[in-house]
Amino acid sequence: MIWMTWRQHRAEMLVLTGIVAVAGLILLMQGLSIRGLFPDGAAACANSDVTNGDSCAQALSKLSDGYGHPEPISFLATLMPFVIGAFLGAPLLGREFEAGTWQLAWTQAVPRLRWLAVKVTVLAGLTVLLTLAFSAMVTWYRAPVDTFDGRLGQVGYEVEGVAPVAYALFAFAVATVAGVLLRRSLAGLALAAAAFVMARIAVASLARPKFASAMTVLQTVQDKGPGDTRGTGNAGDWVLGTTFIDSSGHKLSTATLEKLSGDAANAGVSIPAYFQQHGIHRAVNYQPGDRFWHFQWIESGLYVGAALLLVALVAWRVRRRSL
Amino acid sequence: MTDALSASGLCKRYRSTWALRECDLALPAGRVIALVGPNGAGKTTLLRLTVGLLSPTSGSIEVFGSSPTTNTPQALARIGFLAQEHPLYRSFTVADLLHFGASLNIRFDRPLAEKRLASLDIPLNRKAGALSGGQQSQVALALALAKRPDLLVLDEPLSSLDPVARREFLQTLMGAVAQDGITVLFSSHVVHELERVCDYLVVLNNGRIAIDDDIETLLERHKILTGPRSDVHDPMLGTVIEATHSDRHTSLLVRDGAAIEGWQEQPAGLEDVVLAYLRGGVAMDRTKVAAE
Repeated sequence: MIWMTWRQHRAEMLVLTGIVAVAGLILLMQGLSIRGLFPDGAAACANSDVTNGDSCAQALSKLSDGYGHPEPISFLATLMPFVIGAFLGAPLLGREFEAGTWQLAWTQAVPRLRWLAVKVTVLAGLTVLLTLAFSAMVTWYRAPVDTFDGRLGQVGYEVEGVAPVAYALFAFAVATVAGVLLRRSLAGLALAAAAFVMARIAVASLARPKFASAMTVLQTVQDKGPGDTRGTGNAGDWVLGTTFIDSSGHKLSTATLEKLSGDAANAGVSIPAYFQQHGIHRAVNYQPGDRFWHFQWIESGLYVGAALLLVALVAWRVRRRSL
Repeated sequence: MTDALSASGLCKRYRSTWALRECDLALPAGRVIALVGPNGAGKTTLLRLTVGLLSPTSGSIEVFGSSPTTNTPQALARIGFLAQEHPLYRSFTVADLLHFGASLNIRFDRPLAEKRLASLDIPLNRKAGALSGGQQSQVALALALAKRPDLLVLDEPLSSLDPVARREFLQTLMGAVAQDGITVLFSSHVVHELERVCDYLVVLNNGRIAIDDDIETLLERHKILTGPRSDVHDPMLGTVIEATHSDRHTSLLVRDGAAIEGWQEQPAGLEDVVLAYLRGGVAMDRTKVAAE
């Protein structure tokens, strides 16, 4: 059975392994060149005051100009888990139905649930290995960039750590189900892409901010300048939203804020000064950056759980299939 | 002796349509059995139920006394199946396909398959997709036979083949039957080519069994009687399956009947019998009358 799985899927296996290997080379080269910008390590620039460190300022401006291509590379990296998982999952049953070979496969002397178990184990196993390797390489590549902005709430969260592995397993399971439902591997791939993107958007926008209860920090509103902190003051934190609250702790509506701004102008004081006089604070709602792993494990659990459910669905369909 | 295949009250429904209804069958072992019926009669459904690719909606089916739906290696090893259009993994070489058969089966006879393919000049290093339709069907047959099944099930094995390939295919099949004495069940929607190779017939019409009998007996029991035109039926003539009238004459295809005075008797061909049952939408009385 293992030979059979290899023989049937070796094209996808080899191509995907090749893609990951080439991606690894590119990441290595670009990662080294980004590291070349920071001879003392990126952390040295993150801690020092950027305006004073001349070499750091240069390096950072080069980085934000796209040196080492962190943005396009990270974008491509977000696609990889789907590519790896779905290209292994969609043909698993889709191609058998397409070519009618399910009738050949399931009338040999291997019970079909065992047949399915071996195939899923081998292909899902490869999915894990490839995405784990890829994610590790991306994590290394992005490390200098992450030093400045952290990973939680950034693109780094979705391409580093264990989450990409879980995304890939989910993509594998969705594509397998789609292949069963549509009985075509290519159409299954398209359906899986749609389902995958929707699930990712839903989790990222609705579920992820609530993985742990958010924290709030109150800040005095300052004039623009060195004293005016942005966000929580810690660049690694994930800011969910900023509101203004009055002295009794009530959130101020946009209309009230506009009215207050008008009052400030009438009184001839700056808005921050006016807000300070009236005890109005800025409330920053955020998830601390050190919750990265906590969030990654919750999100991974969610996707792996969904993948297991989908695989169980496939097994149920295969067991009692009626055409 | 156990029947190769027995079914009782076998029903299969796909959502709201019934593919098979209340089928009772008892097919003897060691025979070459043809399953005939118009398109959509439920032939493929019956065959897939036989090999365990489908499970019945109600009723039961047994192959050599055990249910094919159990899907155990032992049950699977006893049947060989050749699906419609003889599907193969097209990117596999013939040798890969043999490796596939050997690694997924208990008693796969690889040397036998290699010998068969060699005698047909089918190269082992050729990809299955690059073979002709006839060669593909031969490879699929060799794979199914190499399982050394007790029951070989073939779904429309001849329909996609040209006349030469048909003959070669049937030759291989009959050679294997003569050698191993396996039971063969195969479906077809053409009757005339079956007479040479089959000795047992099942006719399926609209999801129901119309005929289930030994071909020899079937032909003995059915006759074509021709006589003066009459719309009144004389019970001495037997059970009328189909009547055709011309201006002066009436021609009857009857079961268990004989010519009376003024009538002539002719043997009925297998195709005549099958078509008469299919057109009439009737089923054969299974209580067999001893021929006097």
